[in-house]
Amino acid sequence: MSDLRIVWRAMTGGVRGGMGLAMAASALVLVAGWSLLALSGWFIAATALAGLAATGAWFDIFRPAAAVRGLAILRTATRYAERWLGHDATLRGIVALRGGVLSGLAAADWPRLTRLRRGTALNRVGADCDALDGLPLRLVLPGTGAGAALAFAFALLWALLGWQLALWICGTHLGVALALALWAAPQARRLSVAGAQAARAHAAAALELINSRDELAVAGLLPGRRELALAHDARARACARALDGIERDLGAMQELARAASAAGALGLGAQAVAAGSIGPALAAMGFFAALALAELTAPLRRGIAEYGRIADAALRVAPMLREGPPSVPARPAPPSPLPLRIDGHALHPGGMLVLKGPSGAGKSTLLGQVAGVVPPAGRRITLGGIAVRDWPEPALREQVALVLQRPALIAGSLRDNLALAVPDAGEAAMMAALRAVRLDHLRDGLDLVLGPGGEGLSGGERRRLALARALLRRPALLLLDEPTEGLDEPTADAVMAGLRAALPQAGIVMATHRRATSGCKAAVLDISQEGITAGG
Amino acid sequence: MARRAKEPTGAMALLQDELPALRRAAQGSVVAGLLWLPQAWIAAQALAALLAGRAPGPLALALFLALAALRVILSHRAERGAQDAALAAVGRLRARLLTRESLLARPLPAGQAASLVQDQAEVLRPYAARYLQASARLRAIPAAILAASFWIAWAPGLILLVAGPAIPLFMALIGQAAGRASRRQLDQMGTMGGMLADRAAALPDVRLMGAGQRLVAEFTASADELRRRTMRVLTIAFMSSGVLELFAALGVAMMAVFCGFSLLGQLGFGTWPAAWGNGPLDPAHALFLLLIAPEFFQPLRDFAAAWHDRAAAESLAAVVAERQGQAARMAGQGGPARALPGRAVRLRGVTRHGIRYPDLDLSAGASVALVGPSGAGKTTLLRMIAGLEQPDAGLIEVAGRPLRPAIADAWRAGLGWMAQAPHFLDASLRENLLMGRAGDPAPALSAALADGVVANLSEGLDTRLGENGAGVSGGEARRLMLARVLIRAPGLILADEPTADLDADTAAQITQALLAAHAAGAGLVVATHDPALAVRMGQRLRIGGLDA
Repeated sequence: MSDLRIVWRAMTGGVRGGMGLAMAASALVLVAGWSLLALSGWFIAATALAGLAATGAWFDIFRPAAAVRGLAILRTATRYAERWLGHDATLRGIVALRGGVLSGLAAADWPRLTRLRRGTALNRVGADCDALDGLPLRLVLPGTGAGAALAFAFALLWALLGWQLALWICGTHLGVALALALWAAPQARRLSVAGAQAARAHAAAALELINSRDELAVAGLLPGRRELALAHDARARACARALDGIERDLGAMQELARAASAAGALGLGAQAVAAGSIGPALAAMGFFAALALAELTAPLRRGIAEYGRIADAALRVAPMLREGPPSVPARPAPPSPLPLRIDGHALHPGGMLVLKGPSGAGKSTLLGQVAGVVPPAGRRITLGGIAVRDWPEPALREQVALVLQRPALIAGSLRDNLALAVPDAGEAAMMAALRAVRLDHLRDGLDLVLGPGGEGLSGGERRRLALARALLRRPALLLLDEPTEGLDEPTADAVMAGLRAALPQAGIVMATHRRATSGCKAAVLDISQEGITAGG
Repeated sequence: MARRAKEPTGAMALLQDELPALRRAAQGSVVAGLLWLPQAWIAAQALAALLAGRAPGPLALALFLALAALRVILSHRAERGAQDAALAAVGRLRARLLTRESLLARPLPAGQAASLVQDQAEVLRPYAARYLQASARLRAIPAAILAASFWIAWAPGLILLVAGPAIPLFMALIGQAAGRASRRQLDQMGTMGGMLADRAAALPDVRLMGAGQRLVAEFTASADELRRRTMRVLTIAFMSSGVLELFAALGVAMMAVFCGFSLLGQLGFGTWPAAWGNGPLDPAHALFLLLIAPEFFQPLRDFAAAWHDRAAAESLAAVVAERQGQAARMAGQGGPARALPGRAVRLRGVTRHGIRYPDLDLSAGASVALVGPSGAGKTTLLRMIAGLEQPDAGLIEVAGRPLRPAIADAWRAGLGWMAQAPHFLDASLRENLLMGRAGDPAPALSAALADGVVANLSEGLDTRLGENGAGVSGGEARRLMLARVLIRAPGLILADEPTADLDADTAAQITQALLAAHAAGAGLVVATHDPALAVRMGQRLRIGGLDA
């Protein structure tokens, strides 16, 4: 329940006004629709009585007739307002939620982040946020609207027909609706969760089937994996089918309750007329009022059917929203992250540290520790005299750039990719950064458009584009993980020289297992599982 | 009707197998709807009796309830038929789309394909579940209520007749605009999924650049654009349903006002002369009119809602037809098969996408390097040799036979395929290496010089690597991919840039492992820019370049 509240707050944070108006409109439209039919019923009964009694001349027909027409127009106007306002506020909420969830993912801890699989992220943010549009549209707005309209109807019927009839008419609808909700909600929730899980599995399997199509085809696994994906879909559809069934049963029960309520209202009304407590016209109105109340509780059916999906999505989305921004130590950051000290080995401005060691020795981990994304695990790492974990995150990101071994690029132009690092960098600065990494020869230059994940560039070019991206930010400390992997010797040397020339005062730490790092004077650290030693 | 004899087209064609069940459901729903007439008649009689000072008898109330129960049962069954058929249709469409897409020479980008199969296909469901029912009810119920109204008096019939037909006219106008808007929205949904996957994959780098907030802002802007488009669609939908609502509400109100004035005797028109029919309106008829008037409009409103489902389904049908029109398929089904005995490859006059490929004779166990500039078609040629793509013209002969779809699976069963970018399934490393086979991956791992890679992973062969090999380095991922190839003991290895993006040491290791497999008898076709690798191959085939 509190998950739903967290999601609700995230959705309505900036749009409370819109959502409030939508709530008011949803109550008003129900009141108008119900009143229209109840008033019409009374009107005809009353005029019939007046006609029968030949007292027509004294009957004030114009005010009720005008009220009937007015309610008809009010109902249309409020219906449009309710729909428009409700959907607009909801979609705005969904946008806020998507953003909130993506920031949540971005703030996830480092190991999880680096292994984030596309399929999961796609399912999470896309499907969960879409499911949560049901929170306002299917639960809150119909619920508050029906509650308010039902209270209005009860008060009015009590005043006109007495508490017994009011209680019967409103009680049958409300009671049956509540009983059905209690009966159906747990089953519906179970089915929704199972169905959503199967649908997610289906989407992930379809994604993988297409992504790895060639490998699967050569391995002879294509039909098998496709059947597997479709089996997930079959499971999802079986759940959807059972859920449809619950929804239909709810609808049938409510329709029976409506008929019973109306028939009962007629019977009780006749007794009240016989007892002389109300007139026949009001008794007729009771019948129409009972019929028309079904419109208030009708959305329950959809709400229950979707409740599980909504609650399940909220269960996953809420924890992501809870992650606030990283805590910022009160201490102001020093002006520079240099000198950098790693267990007593120092790096000063303009200097370079080369980390060597076999695969798996922990070079990448050490770079992650220096960048403050991996816990130091017993290592003493200070930047500008301050332990790395005491650095405020924004200052650290501003001063320290880490280029991963497999940098990720985004779909879009080279310009888009560079702008991700520095949004307001000029054309000249971007071209200079590309020149420094020997990437200024590409056709179309900055306008070269890349596919998803940087498709269209070779691995070496991708890495150099990532270097240019880091360069553009002019960090004081540049951390490079195998920056020249995949480059031939002359290009590798040229790139390193270009980096140094572009950032003469930066400290550079580079993990590599290249034997030679010609051209630069560098201190070498040998990394092994035992520890760090100065190498030659 | 002549129309029924024609083949269904557009979205209706997607429901072909379910049409009988959907038609039955539609009939049931029409009967259930018509039952309201007798039910309302009983209620009106009872109410009229009450006004006349007589309490309605228990028989009338019981009959009222019995008819209500019958209606509920009928519509419950109709709904079940329609909803089950709709789910079956969606399942069939998904299977068809996924099968089709996974067998194309060039499938859609995976994110878009998944979105098409999963999310976009879902719009067929409300359409199938509601549209046929709604249109059957539209044809039957308003006409019946209109007839009943005219039978009672002409003015109520006229009120309905005036308020009713404006609705379909209006809907036809709105429907077209809704179709266009809905199409735009579907397009946006697809790109949204792709963009989200792309951005989520870049999250680590984005975090390191401190650009998380900016990425979120950029993404939010694009989500907001989706919201605007969606609201544009919805505004049209709401406007058209608002007009229906207005006509319906005014129709009911006018009916009530007419009945009221008539009953008071203040209106001298609107009813039939007593000689012809019912004569002046009595309370029972007036109450009956009031009870059935809303039900005149309900099918129109249901149809309007279903009409928008139809617009969405037609958009989907257009997308499906477009994908269906993609003719270029891979050869074969990609299923398991016994390997063909031969390993020789012959190319004669092969062209694809306007590129003419040189001829080639590669005997069993021989090796060739495909060289040439980027984009010349080296990868395409490898894919054609593997039957993953088919030539526009020319002959590819494998194991002495033309590479036809019928033998493609068997041909691939003897191949090793090493793509340039590593792809790992969402499964353990062991399953990723064995790819459905039984056995021990250890010998292949050591042949690919990758046993050290596994030893360094904390969970060894049970590790689940990221889709593109996150968790190991690029060179390590490449060696694991090579181990995956060698486990199959392939007669011919097709490798796309096996040493690209690798440092000299790792490239040398990969080359060494490939040559060892070659020495053990495997043929080799290698697309490469790496002169050190190309020079070790038996022949070099230049793709594109000067003599193209």
